[in-house]
Parts: sequence; C-alpha cells; structure tokens
Amino acid sequence: MRNLICAALACGAITGAFAQNAEPQASPPAASTPASTADVEALRQEVQSLKEMVRTLQEQVKAQQPAPEKTNSNAPTLPQNPEEQTAETSSSPAPSPSAPPLFPTTDTAVVSSAPPVNANGTTLFPTSDESVTTTPATVSSSDTGSSLTQPIPIIGGGNNKNYMNISFDSVFALAASSERHLDRLEVGDHDPQQRGFNARNGEIALDGAVDPYFEGFANIVLKLDNNNQTEIELEEAFLQTTGLPYGLQVKAGQFFDAFGRINPTHPHTWEFADSPLVNGRLLGSDGLRGVGAQISWTLPVPWYSQAIFAVQNGRGGTAYSFRNPGDNGVFYGRMTIDRDASALHDMVFVPRIENSFNPSDTQTVLFGASGAFGANDTGPNAHTQIYGADLLYKWKSPRAEGGFPFVKWQTEAMYRRFEAGRGLDNLFPVEEIFRDWGMYSQVLWGFKKGWVVGIRGDYLHMQPSAFTDDETRQSRSRISANLTWYPTEFSKIRLQYNHDFLEENDFLASREADSIFLQFEFILGAHGAHKF
Amino acid sequence: MKQILVSLCCLIVAVSAHAKLKVVATLPDLASLAREVGGDKIDVGAMAKPTEDSHFVDARPSFVVQLRDADVLIDGGAELEIGWLPPLLQNARNPKIEVGKPGRVQASQGVRLMNVPTSATRAAGDVHAMGNPHFIVDPIIAKTVALHIAQAFSAVDPPNAAAYDANYKKFETTINAKLQEWGTAMLPFKGQNVVAYHDSWVYFGHRFGLNIDTFLEPKPGIPPSPSHLAEVIEKMKTQKIKAIIVEPFHDRKIAEKVASSTGAKVVDFAQYPGALPNTDTYVKLIDTLVARLSAALK
Repeated sequence: MRNLICAALACGAITGAFAQNAEPQASPPAASTPASTADVEALRQEVQSLKEMVRTLQEQVKAQQPAPEKTNSNAPTLPQNPEEQTAETSSSPAPSPSAPPLFPTTDTAVVSSAPPVNANGTTLFPTSDESVTTTPATVSSSDTGSSLTQPIPIIGGGNNKNYMNISFDSVFALAASSERHLDRLEVGDHDPQQRGFNARNGEIALDGAVDPYFEGFANIVLKLDNNNQTEIELEEAFLQTTGLPYGLQVKAGQFFDAFGRINPTHPHTWEFADSPLVNGRLLGSDGLRGVGAQISWTLPVPWYSQAIFAVQNGRGGTAYSFRNPGDNGVFYGRMTIDRDASALHDMVFVPRIENSFNPSDTQTVLFGASGAFGANDTGPNAHTQIYGADLLYKWKSPRAEGGFPFVKWQTEAMYRRFEAGRGLDNLFPVEEIFRDWGMYSQVLWGFKKGWVVGIRGDYLHMQPSAFTDDETRQSRSRISANLTWYPTEFSKIRLQYNHDFLEENDFLASREADSIFLQFEFILGAHGAHKF
Repeated sequence: MKQILVSLCCLIVAVSAHAKLKVVATLPDLASLAREVGGDKIDVGAMAKPTEDSHFVDARPSFVVQLRDADVLIDGGAELEIGWLPPLLQNARNPKIEVGKPGRVQASQGVRLMNVPTSATRAAGDVHAMGNPHFIVDPIIAKTVALHIAQAFSAVDPPNAAAYDANYKKFETTINAKLQEWGTAMLPFKGQNVVAYHDSWVYFGHRFGLNIDTFLEPKPGIPPSPSHLAEVIEKMKTQKIKAIIVEPFHDRKIAEKVASSTGAKVVDFAQYPGALPNTDTYVKLIDTLVARLSAALK
C-alpha cells in the first residue's frame, strides 16, 4: 500500500513538473497495478471517511458565509487575473496511480482544437468561420490555466484588420553646393533644389483591397518649394485587377510608367539622394507618368518573363518628352502648340518586357527593355521615341541578417529620338531631330547590417543644336558616392557627394560643380513591401 | 500508327496521373512539414533560405513564377513575411492561393501567438503586431500546422487524401514519441534562464520549460549596443546563465564576446531545417537543438 502511494506520488510529481497543460482525462486508467481486495476495501473506507470530513468542513464554511451567492465556493477558486497565472501554478492534476505520458503531447494553450477528421479518411478544410471559434473562452474551459500572456487567436482570412494601409513618408535633404542655383544643376523634382534644407517629398501612401476584384493604390505627394510654399500632386492613384486569368493584370488611373528601373519607383526607395541625369532629362523631372491604362502579362514560361503595355494621355509636365507645353509655352526654344489628342497616335504608348533568372541561389539577374512612343508639342506632326534597356544584378549572402550583406549593380541606358518641329505658326527657323542618349550605372554594397555604400556614374549626351541655348540640352556627366545608414527599415540617414561636369556647347560654357547632400527620411505607418 | 497513338495516350495518362501537387512554402520549416505530410505526392519548394533572416527575404522574380504555378501556398500568416510576400502575390496572379481558398495555408491559423503587444509602437523595435511569429519550433504547434497542411492537401487533391491523412498520423505519432525523448532530455534544465540573440525562441522555451527572455538585441531587430550588452553580462553573471543561442545570420562574434566574459557557451541554433548540419527534417532539427542546448546547459 505504501509502495503504491509512493509510486503514485512520484508519478504525480513528474506529471506536475510538466503539468502546464496536462489533461487528466487523457490519462489511461491505472489498471495494471495489482492490488488485493483487502487493500481496495481499506482504500474505500479511507475515501469514505475523507468524504465525510469534506462534507463537515463544507458545512462549516457555509455557516460562516452570509452571502448566499457564494454557496458554490466548494469549487476551486479561480485566480483573480488568469493572465498572471504561470504554468507552474496552474492545474497540476492530483497525484493518481496512473501512468500518463511523461511529456504532454498536446497543448490547448497554443493550438486550437483541430477540425474533425471524417471517418472515411478524408479531412475537412477549415473555413475561416471555424477558426474564429478559437476563442479564449473555449480553450479556457478545457484548460483552466492558460499560461500564455494575452492569447489572441489569429482570425483566418486576412491579416489586416483595417480596410486600407496608410503610411506617411518624408524625405529631407540638407544641401551644400558650389553651384548657386542648385535647381538648375539637379534634374529631378524630388532632388535638393536649393542650398540649405529641402523638403521635396512628403508622401501619403494608401493601399488596400477595393473589393474581391480590385486593389487600390494612391500616393499623394506634398513638397515645399524654395519659398516654403506647399505644392501638392496626385502622384499616383490607380486600381489594379486581382483575379484575371491567364496571368493577366490590368491597371488603370494615374500611375508611373514601367519604363526601366527607377521611373516606376518612389524616391524613398532610391539609393541616391537625387535622380540620374538620364531619367531627369529624357523622361522628365517628375518621371514619366500620367492618366491611362496598362495591361501586363506573365508569360507562361518556366522563368520570370513579363510583358507590360501602357497607354496614357501623355500630356503635360509629367510626360516631359511628349505633349508637354513646356515652361511658359516654350520647349527646346520652340513656342509649343496646344496639341489635342486628334488621333490614337497622339497618346503615349509604353511597352516593356522584363526577364529574370537566378545564376545561383544567392544571385538574381533582372533585365528589361522599354519603349515610350508618342507625339510632342513642338509641331503638328512632331513625334518622340524613347528606348531603354536596364540590367539589375544582386547578390545577397545566404546568411543575410536584415537583408545584409548584399551587392547590387544597376544600370540603365536610354536613347531618345525627338522630332523638334518649328513650333507655333512655324516660328522657329528649322525643324531638327535630336538624337539624345544617356546612361547611369550604380553599385551598392550593403557591407554590414543597416550600412550601404554606393557609387554611381552618370552620362548624358544631348545632340548639339545650332539654335537652342536651352540649358537642359547641355551634355554632362556626374560621379556620385554615398554612405547610407538605415537604423531600421523605417528611417535612413545618407551622406552623398556629387561631382558634376557640364560640357561646353555653342551657347554654354563648360563648368564643374561639387555638392554634398545630407538626406534624412522617416516612414510612419504600414509601409508597403518593396518589389525586387 | 495506332499503337503509337495508344502508347502516347497511355503516356499522357501516366504523366497526368503522376502529376504531383505543386506546393510552395515561404519558409523552410513549413516546407519541411509539407514534405512530411505530402511525401512523394507533392513537389515542394521554400522561398527563404534556411540560413537567412526570414524577415528580410528579397522578392526575387523567380518566386513570382513559383507562386504562379503553385497549387498550394503555405505561409506563416503572422506578418513574418509581410516585407516581401505581398508584392509577390500581387504579381503572381494565382487565384488558387488566395487567402480563404483551400490552396492557401496560413500556419498561424489555430495557433495562439505569444507576446502579442498591447499597443503597436515601433519605438519597441521590430515588434510583430500579431504576436511572435517564430512558433514552429514548438513541436506541438508543428503538429497542428502539419494537420492544417494535410487538410489543405486533401481538399486540393482529394484522390490522395488517405495518403496525406496517413502521413500526418505517422508524423503525429513520431512527434508524440519524440516529445517524450526531448522532454526527458530537457527536464534537468527546467526553469533555467537562457539568452538568445533575437526573440525567436519563446515557443521553444515555453515547451521545454526554459526562460528565454534575455536578448543580445536591446529591442527586436535593433543591433546590440555596448550598454545593453553590459546589462546582459551583468544579468548573466547574477543568474548564472550558461547558454547564448545564436542563429546562422546573427553576428556570432558579439555572442562570443559576451560568452567569454560570462563563461557561458554559444549555442548555434536555427529555426529552419537544413540550416545546421544533418537537420534536413523537422525531427532532426529539434533533435539537434535539444542535444546542443542540453549539452551546453550541463
């Protein structure tokens, strides 16, 4: 008898040691221990006497408690705050002469009861409703001592509890330059525009599922000009299909064209504090974007291959090389005509094809070719064609922490054929065809978690004109180097040095300029994930 | 001619009969569970590498192709992959793996996540608003995830439902048996404190009765600072902590420095099968983790 109790206690102690969530009902009955009928009889008497004792004690307690609602206090009292209850203090099953598994193999504190399995062996897939029933209440009924801090079940069917993600992202730059008019040296609208502080990109980004058929995106950009006046623009606002078959996707609204690598992206993803010369001078300081529609198709081939085709109005400053009236009605020296879309070919068409493959497990290559074709405002029959090619190579360590270390090499080249007409009422002396081209190449090395060093070379060749003294048509080159620290993916501080060299032409003298930028950025809210 | 046609037909039938279920898992641990359940009926690939930080995986275009062709996608579901999975899914255009479809398994379904923050502030570092997503290292949770995977496979591929069910049951039995082994091995160290580089071992600690709540990172995702490390060293000395857990992508030198000034041991851990030698399956991984940690705590 004593041996039996000792064994039971020992067993119980081990169970208790693991008893975070042991379920007593799962224990098999102790039938294996041999015991004589006399022993059983003795036990039965002992239990009987204990029962009597409990009953008398209960009555005493009842007599002492005046409040009638507390009469059921013979049940074990629950702790005031179950969340503070630790595993060790909870629900150790009473020592019993059973042989339960030493280590619990189930734990209702961490997993919900699994959906039932049919008798014929097929299983039922849980609908999202079933998983909602994983309420803390259900679990606590079977497991009175949940040891986890504030368990909240994950509701199946989407992670977002909001209908849209909202974020605000702001980029600032402190600039020093040997060039007095920094806005004439820098080619992008989000680039630093003056010596001193600049706030050229405060971006409110919204996105979310519109309904089961569409996703919606919007980017509203606020920026401060050199007189600290706020400019606002609807940079992007478009919807995109989610359920088209055959790998198709349609996008419609105001959006950046998928031309090359940098054009479709927002400044906070840029690896330099300013945009490349070729982007600013051939696609425009705002990038090539506009109102229109785009269809893209993932080709049914074993590697990544995507074809994209967009049609847009191609009008205004965000379609710089197309139907752009220019500053004060002048573009490349011509008085521009206000050219309506009289035919389909007056719109801008932007095709692109991109392919990707992985040379190894740690390397990725993506290359693409883009085009942009449309009319321009320098003459009634003037057209523009832009061709682009881009290449991205990235290596990332197989033991990357936070995405570091990595090496990334990106290059883009563009060629533009611009038919410059004689302008409004044939005022300009001649028609010209400008064949301009340029490229940039940049290498980024993320050498340590949060730290990136980068170098970029830029070249832009603008075909000399015998007639225009436009300073945007000056051939030039630039070398840039920078160091960026990302404390987290939501902030960054970047120091960049630029050396610019502007070539002499018939109207403009050659000159050089040195600039230093200290860029800083923060992101609030649900920051969207980055595409490759 | 007829014979050729017949044999061609036979070939086509044979090929389609042996067409395996195409499964994509975001993480290698999910892929490993899928392999247990799917056996030879599936082809499974993982996107993240076992040795890399799964919070920051590049959205490589090749993943778009994998997702486009997938019959089943298994993801963690607790925002671990939020930095890279959404644009891939957007580009994959595969309605079979949308949330809510049988072809989508979100592993966190039915898992009670630990360390759910009361308020979402990034001042606390890289905190997951839905709770700690590193839950597969708890074998009991792994069983539930495996069951969900088995159910998804059966729903998408009913002819092989019996096989998936049998494989799951086999896995469950193995884990139940192994739990006794692992529990016994870890029993002497119950209640001990262990230091980890990053907060990804709370479920493992909970399962085996260890307190893994001191970290070399001052806040999740924030690199260790000298002042914080000094505090950790002090704490380790007073609590006589014997082990520091690091993962393949962590800066082991920092852990070694702390170890040398406290007399603790650096234990190379990994959440993902394949990251450590001879850990190509889930069971082997937990075997290795238990063996390494119990050796260090002795």
